[in-house]
Amino acid sequence: MKKLLLMIGSRMLQLVIMVLFLSFITFLLMKITPGDPIRTMLNVDDIAATKTDEENLMKAYEFDRPILEQYGKWVLGVLQLDLGESLISKRPVLDMILDKLPATLSLSIGGLVVLFIIAVPMGILGAVYEGRWPDYLSRWTALTGASIPSFWLGLMLIYVFSLQWNLLPVMGKGTLAHFILPSVTLGVAMAPMYIRLLRERLIATLQSPYIEAAKARGLRKKRIIFSHALRGSLIPLVTMFGLSIGSLLGGVTVIEILFSWPGMGELIVSAVMQRDYPVIQGYILIIGFLVVLSNLVVDFMYMMINPQINNGEESVS
Amino acid sequence: MKNKKTIAGLLLILLLIIITGCTDEAGTEKNQSTSKDKSLTILFSFASKTIDPHQDWMGVRAGIAETLVKLDDDLAIKPWLAESWEQKDETTWVFTLKEGVRFHDGSPVDGEAVKASFERAIEVNEALAPALKIDKMEADGQQITFKTTEEYPAFLSELVHTNASIIKADADNIGEKPIATGAFQVESFSSEEEIKLKKYPKYWDGEANVDHISIKFNSDANVRALALQSGEADISYHLPPESLEPIESHNELRVESVASLRVHFFLYNSAKPELQDVKVRQALDLLVNRPVAVEEIMNGHATAANGPFNPDFEFASEKDPTSYDPSKAEKLLNEAGYEKNEDGNLEKDGKPLELTLATYEGRPELPMMAQYFQSEAANLGIKVNVVTVENIDSYLWEQQQEWDIVTYSNLTAPRGDGGYFLNVAYLPDGSLNPGQINIPEVNNITKQLNKEADQEKRIELQKKAVEKIQEEISQSFILHPHIIVGVNQRVKNWKPGSEEYYLITNEMDVE
Repeated sequence: MKKLLLMIGSRMLQLVIMVLFLSFITFLLMKITPGDPIRTMLNVDDIAATKTDEENLMKAYEFDRPILEQYGKWVLGVLQLDLGESLISKRPVLDMILDKLPATLSLSIGGLVVLFIIAVPMGILGAVYEGRWPDYLSRWTALTGASIPSFWLGLMLIYVFSLQWNLLPVMGKGTLAHFILPSVTLGVAMAPMYIRLLRERLIATLQSPYIEAAKARGLRKKRIIFSHALRGSLIPLVTMFGLSIGSLLGGVTVIEILFSWPGMGELIVSAVMQRDYPVIQGYILIIGFLVVLSNLVVDFMYMMINPQINNGEESVS
Repeated sequence: MKNKKTIAGLLLILLLIIITGCTDEAGTEKNQSTSKDKSLTILFSFASKTIDPHQDWMGVRAGIAETLVKLDDDLAIKPWLAESWEQKDETTWVFTLKEGVRFHDGSPVDGEAVKASFERAIEVNEALAPALKIDKMEADGQQITFKTTEEYPAFLSELVHTNASIIKADADNIGEKPIATGAFQVESFSSEEEIKLKKYPKYWDGEANVDHISIKFNSDANVRALALQSGEADISYHLPPESLEPIESHNELRVESVASLRVHFFLYNSAKPELQDVKVRQALDLLVNRPVAVEEIMNGHATAANGPFNPDFEFASEKDPTSYDPSKAEKLLNEAGYEKNEDGNLEKDGKPLELTLATYEGRPELPMMAQYFQSEAANLGIKVNVVTVENIDSYLWEQQQEWDIVTYSNLTAPRGDGGYFLNVAYLPDGSLNPGQINIPEVNNITKQLNKEADQEKRIELQKKAVEKIQEEISQSFILHPHIIVGVNQRVKNWKPGSEEYYLITNEMDVE
């Protein structure tokens, strides 16, 4: 118990340091990349403005102050739980993100379910029939999945399932049917890595002494695979999952935009284009927090699956 | 064994989360219109984060809010919420409001309400104070008097801007449920996802034909085209020319294509010595093959440009667009002192003519135009290096020494008056003048224009400016891209406008 509390404490400290570091790097990058929100705010594309107007607004919003000072101001706000408001839409950043977060999370989970449905059987096939045709099938599935760009796959799925067969809606959110195409697109994009990983692990496990012993005891193959080997192979998968949460949230963006899925995708892409600093910073803060937090959860699951692992010696992240 | 149960349990929870996560809105679908109701769905490209009419164009586009004056089909200014107006002196404008106009909550639209609306607009939108230049306002019954900070004849056309629309300023939650005067009122809005509208039965200009309208957003043009074909959208905005074939051949769908108020052009950097010679600019202009750009690059969905302004405008040039003529271009370059060296490159005083042409991916047709121009120039012995940059504006302003030419695109008369473009693209302090264009004669005309209230004289001045601009060739105006909209045949009495300010009307209907 004491160990557990210590672990949580140290992880929380890590979390704070990590998120601070992340937010500062983002802030720095945002400020040194060319472009600022001033022209968007002044709407120069259809309202007459002069360079003087731009400079005045720059001063009013203190974008001309030193970067550290601007960052310090932002951190002070965050400490008071104030993420500021969007420069463009003037809505509070926290509201904007929290509005969109649930949809992104639910799509991520949908993608994970599809991933699971694809990766587990394919991984098992590859391992059990190593070097025979099901293994090649699994390998090709992984290779194809890894090579298809997700936006293209999404478009193809829409074309086939919505346009040709009229089975599923093209875009949007609302019913279970709306869930299918974006989840499949996401799941297929992420599955290959897991198929290969599970296969490698299973092969290694199937050759380990305790499985050999089980075989010698005359246990049936099915039983060996499903109740012994698979459990041992899930551990690295869980680890992998913890590590790939970041890329999952990145991959979800493209798919959200394609399917008009009302998650954070559109929000963050347009914020980056318009250099809407407070929104970008708020997004990084919350996503960073989520990634670190989910890694913590993964560690817990790790301990549950395999209690022998001592957290001190074999940390996951 | 226990672990298997745990994992199964976790999976079950995940599934439950998904199912609850995606049925949270299914419940609200029930208040859908009855079968007798007419409804339609519009799919738009730029997702609105807010529908506050003072912040976002959707307020007016969606038929929720209205401005005092609007552009008619011929792009001329006509009354809308204002019955009439009068310019008392150089800085005083008196507007008389229509009688009987009411906000969606039933409260009357009088001078006080309009004043409060403008006060709020200027407060929440940084762009409006410099655009409207309002010093003070006085309300008196159905009249409102504006005093501008300076002599400002363009004030009237600036009032066309969607952000100058009239809303109930003291309402709550304006970002999601603005209360205004339009034919439609907001039922619900979820940011970047959907606006649900229902008709406002007491609309002053006659009840709308359609009961319910849903505006959805998708920034992927291919998906917008697919959603139209699958029947999920009745109107899909901003379709790419290459996606039109299946729509055009579909008997239940049609394509509307209308010249926009935007122009694609090459901008020449006037700080570069080679480009300061007007003969060189004329020669480069002759290398721009406008018909090919219209037909090949835009698939015919564009209008060749004869100057900055859409040819439908009275103040646009009446001449034909410059023809493609490489041999004439070569002659002009010879006159400017360029001769072919032994490598076949044009050079002057031992220095070959080499130009950097900047472009960006934001509008996919621009890099194509750049490449096309590059090969035309190469045929003549001019080396053009194309560079693609991510953020074109900051590159142009912050690296002014690095580029010679840039592919650019601007709205030139968004409110039916060219004064906007003449001010921002030609005056030395203009926000769209990174090429540091400075033509004294054009500057003088623009300054006169900024003081000229008489509409006829304004047109004359703008024509004069256009003529001078086309003589100087500080830009090569190439084409006006079209706004391409896919429409289901069940939609009647509707076509897209050039100005893109008005989208939903009380007249549009569905079968």
